[in-house]
Amino acid sequence: MARAIAERLSATGTVNALELRGVTKRFGALLALDDVTLSVRPGERRAILGSNGAGKTTLLNCITGDFPASSGTIRFFGEDVTRFPAHERIRRGLRRTYQISLLFGGLSVLDNVYLACLGVSRGRFSLLRPRRDDALVESARALVHAVHLDEVAEKKVAELAHGQQRQLEVALALAGAPRFLLFDEPAAGLSPAERADLVAILQGLPAHMGYVIIEHDMDVALRVVESVTLMHEGRIFKEGTPEEIEADPEVQELYLGHGRG
Amino acid sequence: MARAGAMATGEPGAEGGGLARRVERHPLAALLLALAIVLFLWLVLADWPEELERWLGRKRVFVSALFNGITLGGLYFLVATGFTLIFGLMRNVNLAHGSLYLFGGYLAYSTVQATGLWLPSFLVAFVLVAIVGLLLQVLVFRHMEGQELRQTLVTIGLSIVFADLMLWVWGGDFYQIPTPEWLAGPIDTPIVLDVRPNGEAVYLRYPRVRLVIFAASVVIGVLLWLAINKTRVGMLIRAGVDDREMLAASGVPIQLLFALVFAFGAGLAGMAGVVGGTFQSISPGEDTRFLLASLVVVIVGGLGSIPGAALGALLIGLAEQFGSVYLPTYAIVFSFLIMVLVLAFRPQGLLSVR
Amino acid sequence: MAVARPGLPAATTAGETAGGIPPSAWITALVLVIMPALASDFFLVQVFGWALVLGTIALSLQFLAGYGGMVSLVQMTVAGFAGYMVAILGTSGLTQISLGWPFWLAVPVAILLAVLFGTLSGALAVRTAGIYTIMITLAIAAAFFYFTRQNETVFGGFLGFNGVRAPVFWGIDWRSPVPFYYLCLGWAAIAWGLVVWVVRAPFGLALQGIRDNPRRMAALGFDVTAHRIAAYAFAAFLAAPAGILLTWMNGQIAPGTVGIGPVIDILVIAVVGGLGRPIGPFIGALLYVLLRIFALDALVALGLSGQRFQLLIGLGFLVTVLFSPDGILGLWERARHRWSAPLNRGGR
Ligand SMILES: Nc1ncnc2c1ncn2[C@@H]1O[C@H](COP(=O)(O)OP(=O)(O)OP(=O)(O)O)[C@@H](O)[C@H]1O
Ligand SMILES: [Mg+2]
Repeated sequence: MARAIAERLSATGTVNALELRGVTKRFGALLALDDVTLSVRPGERRAILGSNGAGKTTLLNCITGDFPASSGTIRFFGEDVTRFPAHERIRRGLRRTYQISLLFGGLSVLDNVYLACLGVSRGRFSLLRPRRDDALVESARALVHAVHLDEVAEKKVAELAHGQQRQLEVALALAGAPRFLLFDEPAAGLSPAERADLVAILQGLPAHMGYVIIEHDMDVALRVVESVTLMHEGRIFKEGTPEEIEADPEVQELYLGHGRG
Repeated sequence: MARAGAMATGEPGAEGGGLARRVERHPLAALLLALAIVLFLWLVLADWPEELERWLGRKRVFVSALFNGITLGGLYFLVATGFTLIFGLMRNVNLAHGSLYLFGGYLAYSTVQATGLWLPSFLVAFVLVAIVGLLLQVLVFRHMEGQELRQTLVTIGLSIVFADLMLWVWGGDFYQIPTPEWLAGPIDTPIVLDVRPNGEAVYLRYPRVRLVIFAASVVIGVLLWLAINKTRVGMLIRAGVDDREMLAASGVPIQLLFALVFAFGAGLAGMAGVVGGTFQSISPGEDTRFLLASLVVVIVGGLGSIPGAALGALLIGLAEQFGSVYLPTYAIVFSFLIMVLVLAFRPQGLLSVR
Repeated sequence: MAVARPGLPAATTAGETAGGIPPSAWITALVLVIMPALASDFFLVQVFGWALVLGTIALSLQFLAGYGGMVSLVQMTVAGFAGYMVAILGTSGLTQISLGWPFWLAVPVAILLAVLFGTLSGALAVRTAGIYTIMITLAIAAAFFYFTRQNETVFGGFLGFNGVRAPVFWGIDWRSPVPFYYLCLGWAAIAWGLVVWVVRAPFGLALQGIRDNPRRMAALGFDVTAHRIAAYAFAAFLAAPAGILLTWMNGQIAPGTVGIGPVIDILVIAVVGGLGRPIGPFIGALLYVLLRIFALDALVALGLSGQRFQLLIGLGFLVTVLFSPDGILGLWERARHRWSAPLNRGGR
């Protein structure tokens, strides 16, 4: 019920998909996130840039609840999810990929995606074995197709090439009905052809599906987003359109100058 | 995308800056603790009003349960501290720890039988059991580093084998290590238990040996804490607890450190065996009993933390003694309940390091 | 973890292998069913019945350890708890405690309570992860053992309950060897079948996903803690009836049944048999029972005390853990396939 209301609100644009206020994360003495305040509209596509160790991944981890923020609040479509465990946030339509692929190496591609579909379905505790024409299996097949992995669908993930594993990461995030996605360097280590493939997948996502993408490759990042947030040493350092960011002399100095772009 | 290496998160003063900070961070817990201490002090020192005696029985019973609990806690601390030290550094849950305790006890018993010397039996127990620990580390655990579960299974196997070997050698009898003369007998404490109608006060008389042993375990605990917090070796150990890879990378002879800590932890268990054999008794089955006591103590106190072991040992010792005095058929439930509560509300243990 | 774990079975191809039950399985099943015609009463109950019951309890450990990555030492305790409950609720020689309920009420309630007990133990154990599991479950097991020994009013103290017997119904005396053997075989087969079924069902698949990668599973929407607790509940459901059978077999239940020794024995059985597949614990149990019965004579013949049996068990366990972490099952499979490295070795 609450979700339906939130959805309607979001449709009228009054509620942000993501709303972070003063989010801080400490690892011992290290301040990995320092008072991050950020909002992303539903359907908005945003890149987060920043040098190594800027805290980008940590930010995603706090948003998804992989580990809790030290302080601050996080709202997802208006709902305060700060104290929610990860799975509760996922069940509300948040999805993510990992910078270092976190897959089930011993399972086939299809089974990986099947688990992802199961995770956001009601049958998680089911004791009935899936039939071949099971709705979840069907949707898993569709997803495998969507990320162009049909040929290796029955292959064990451990035997996959790096690029294919990255694509599978994306597929796992697309399971169910995501409302907002977080991509952590999905293009890392991909060949130019695979990058083009990824860009096509991202651009092909339905327009209401907003996302945040961490990406070092400006070519990829700037083609798939409409806004950019720059992070530095755990803080948000600048926000703007891709053009503004690219043109900003300070940014050029700090990031593009000796970044990895 | 090389992931930034793990950070050194040395937090100066987090442990050392101690009391004031803890109190500041947990004002309620500190208050409750202070109240509990005051209450206990009052119960020990005051002349009990009738009303109280009706509730808690004779003051004598209460005070001796308290003393027994605290001294038992001292013994538990001696056993558990080696366990927690070994886990803290090597992530090895040594379920043969109880066997080391019992082995120390038997060794000391045989030493005292043969020579009549009590103090040197500590040395014998410490050294021989430490050697066993050393051998275990070098011959077995070194070859399975990082395989926590397998190491633990090995320690279970070892504990079965040790138990049977000890049964073979020493048989199934109960042994008590005789207390040396200079420690035998009770000591008069200034604690008034009762006032006779004629105005004469009855003082608590308590076994000297238990008090001495308790004092010794406090000294050992403090020394250990100092060694770990103020010396170079201790610093290395703490660094190892926080981040083993970094320690390995920094050129420290980590295997030597592991072997020494394992030997030392085992030796402590052996010495605890002498203590246990002196003020209780040793027999087959005591290995399991003390293994379990160690487990519960470190689960309560926080695995890997020495102050945690001290606190856990005190709590469990007290719970056991008060339980067996006031609710004999449910005594075990008390220690267990403490463990359950800690797991429910602070699963990492009361004073956990991380 | 070094102990070999079964690989994840394929979810989406489930059912395709259903027709492929190997002939060896059929033969085993057949032999087990016609066993009463082959074996003496002693063998039937004291060897095969006992092995089936211990195997079932060890199976519940294998399920948790192999598929859930949680080495729970509380399974024997859950079984013993169920045994105690039938003694307390049903009839026993200790008439001042036993409530004398009819078996058809006492048994289901006992199972229910034992499942509750197992679930609560699990809920405690999963509060922390990894190696803590073994410590916490061992502590729970020990607490229960000491408690039953101390407590006279409900658990009958040191002596426990005697005269706890299988009921007579449908005109069959279930205490007599052949029917009792079939009871043991029946529950062992059901438990085995349940495990084989469940590990391929969504619940079992998710459990194995959680074993391999809890963080990712949470990020896919799975409630890791709830799944683990549910696994404990399921395992308790397997172990509880076996505990009742064990109690009926011995005619009694006492603290010794749930002592640290038996608790560890179940671990030994499961590990020596092999945590890789549900059949492993039964192999381990048969071996254990045979050793237990015949090694005693052998030891005595060698001039050693029968007590040295524990030494044998301990050494056997050590050798297994040191040299063939996936147990006899793994040994056999390696010999058959001439594979050297098990999958997932040393995975963390
Ligand atoms: N689990 C952790 N424990 C301790 N420190 C951590 C942890 N995770 C991240 N850090 C530290 O927090 C800081 C921010 O790390 P984070 O991974 O968020 O950076 P990033 O912006 O994603 O960098 P990269 O471009 O390398 O992915 C780093 O200094 C990192 O070492
Ligand atoms: Mg990152």
